Amino acid sequence: MNRLRAATAVAATIFAVAVPFFLKPFGIFLISMWAVLTIAAIGLNLTLGYAGQVSLAQGAFVGIGAYTVALLTQAGYPFALAFVAAGGLCFAIGGMLGYPALRVQHHYLAFVTLAFTTLVFLVLRNEEWLTNGIYGINGIIRPTFFGWSTRSALNFYFFSLGTLAVLSMATWWMLRSPWGRAFVALRENPIRALSLGVDTRRYTLMAFAIGSSLGGLSGGLYAPLVQFIDPGSFALGMSFNLLLMVIVGGSGYFFGPFVGALVAVLLPEWTRITQGYYLIIYAALVMVMMAFCPSGILGLIERVLKAAFRSGGTAPALRAEGIGP
Amino acid sequence: MSAILEVADLHKSFGGVTAVNGVSFDVREGEILGIIGPNGSGKSTLFNCVLGQLLPDGGEVRIDGKRTTGMRPCDLNRLGVSRTFQLLQVFPQLSVHDNLILAGQEHQGSMFSRLIGRADAGLGEAADRMVEFFQLSHLAGEQAGALSYGQQKLLDAAMAFMAGPRLVLLDEPAGGVNLTMLTHLRERLQAYHAQRKATFVVIEHQMEFVMALCTRVLVLAEGRIIAEGAPHDIRRNPVVIEAYLGY
Repeated sequence: MNRLRAATAVAATIFAVAVPFFLKPFGIFLISMWAVLTIAAIGLNLTLGYAGQVSLAQGAFVGIGAYTVALLTQAGYPFALAFVAAGGLCFAIGGMLGYPALRVQHHYLAFVTLAFTTLVFLVLRNEEWLTNGIYGINGIIRPTFFGWSTRSALNFYFFSLGTLAVLSMATWWMLRSPWGRAFVALRENPIRALSLGVDTRRYTLMAFAIGSSLGGLSGGLYAPLVQFIDPGSFALGMSFNLLLMVIVGGSGYFFGPFVGALVAVLLPEWTRITQGYYLIIYAALVMVMMAFCPSGILGLIERVLKAAFRSGGTAPALRAEGIGP
Repeated sequence: MSAILEVADLHKSFGGVTAVNGVSFDVREGEILGIIGPNGSGKSTLFNCVLGQLLPDGGEVRIDGKRTTGMRPCDLNRLGVSRTFQLLQVFPQLSVHDNLILAGQEHQGSMFSRLIGRADAGLGEAADRMVEFFQLSHLAGEQAGALSYGQQKLLDAAMAFMAGPRLVLLDEPAGGVNLTMLTHLRERLQAYHAQRKATFVVIEHQMEFVMALCTRVLVLAEGRIIAEGAPHDIRRNPVVIEAYLGY
């Protein structure tokens, strides 16, 4: 099974590297969007899927990251600095947002984070002196590194894909470490975790801070990808979309966000051939998917593989070892 | 021998119901103290107050002479105090092996060193030894949720010992366990006690289990201690028979 998993990962990597050469600019834009939003979804999967903390604020963190990069680069700061600042700022704000999670859980926490998203949207819309209000920020330039410009769609895609690869590996490292086990413990049984010495307070705050930071870094790529941002892009819709990615892909599965983002970015475009009905069809497909595989696409695949391997002995697991659930 | 745990005049009420009413006792290093009593006598509330899950309304808890009243359970755990719960409390989605590593990992280095260090926090071999000790080796790779009730009870107990605690509080470890598994569990606890000289406090209804395992027994009724002594004396105590044993 490890071989099958390794082969799948290698094939997916080769596909991700090769596919833009067969696509038109809009197609490259879409897969770049996939790479960028996957980063935010990985962050939400960490907070929600692994640590079990419901958050409807991930879209707001993408917004904070996007505005941080847009404002700093337009003020003349280098992209790398702005990008790090986006992640750092969201880490700090995310950590603070984690405090309510120490007192409230589940749908109450969802409402707290939903209120935060609304608050961020209002700040982005109303504080014109800083954000240019409803007019948004235009002409966000794509960065150049040591003479390599990411201005072209293809180069920006590879830049996004590389960033996704680095951040994915960092997240994988964290989840395979004792932190990953502690996050799962936090989700499954915080009282027992506490009795085993797990400082649930610190791990809850870290789950929020790191997940939010990934949202901010995603926003840091989102701004130069679309080159125009306005507050409406980071309202509740974005948070719900990211939540959809995590749930559809498979909450708590490491590769869930990759698959979920693929569905959430590409499915609406594929259904566009139905013209005015595409959103209805997209919504219906998502509802059917949730009804028949509530554990997401990877949960469904795992079930199918387990059934297929049952006679063969060892059941396969799509979740990386040691990082549960 | 010195007292590892001292409980003095502990009180806890829920609304108008007094669950623990002025309970005081000491636990000496290396002993196995049993706490028995009818349902609702305040045994689990007493445990939860001692272990920081509940804040007592009054009284004091000391571990190794240090005041620990109101201390968080995770901080108590780092002082070498471990527990099991009345209801099963394993992590069903994690493997047996990972449950055990989780039970010990927070005692390994700092939070940062655990992030950059080994995935098993250096506890892989200790977890192997623990599954072997509790005779769960053949299940080490299985998800804890897939184990039988009795096996999960064993795992639950094994987790409590993973960090090498000096004081272990076991809340109804025999509850719902069949006779074969019960003997096995008692033998494991006795073997661990003999090897590590750890101190146990055991809440249990299963009298044979208590009598075979414990060196001293406290009897609780309506939030108060009504009797204390050696197991065979407790069995014959008319107050205990009247309030609890009923024969």
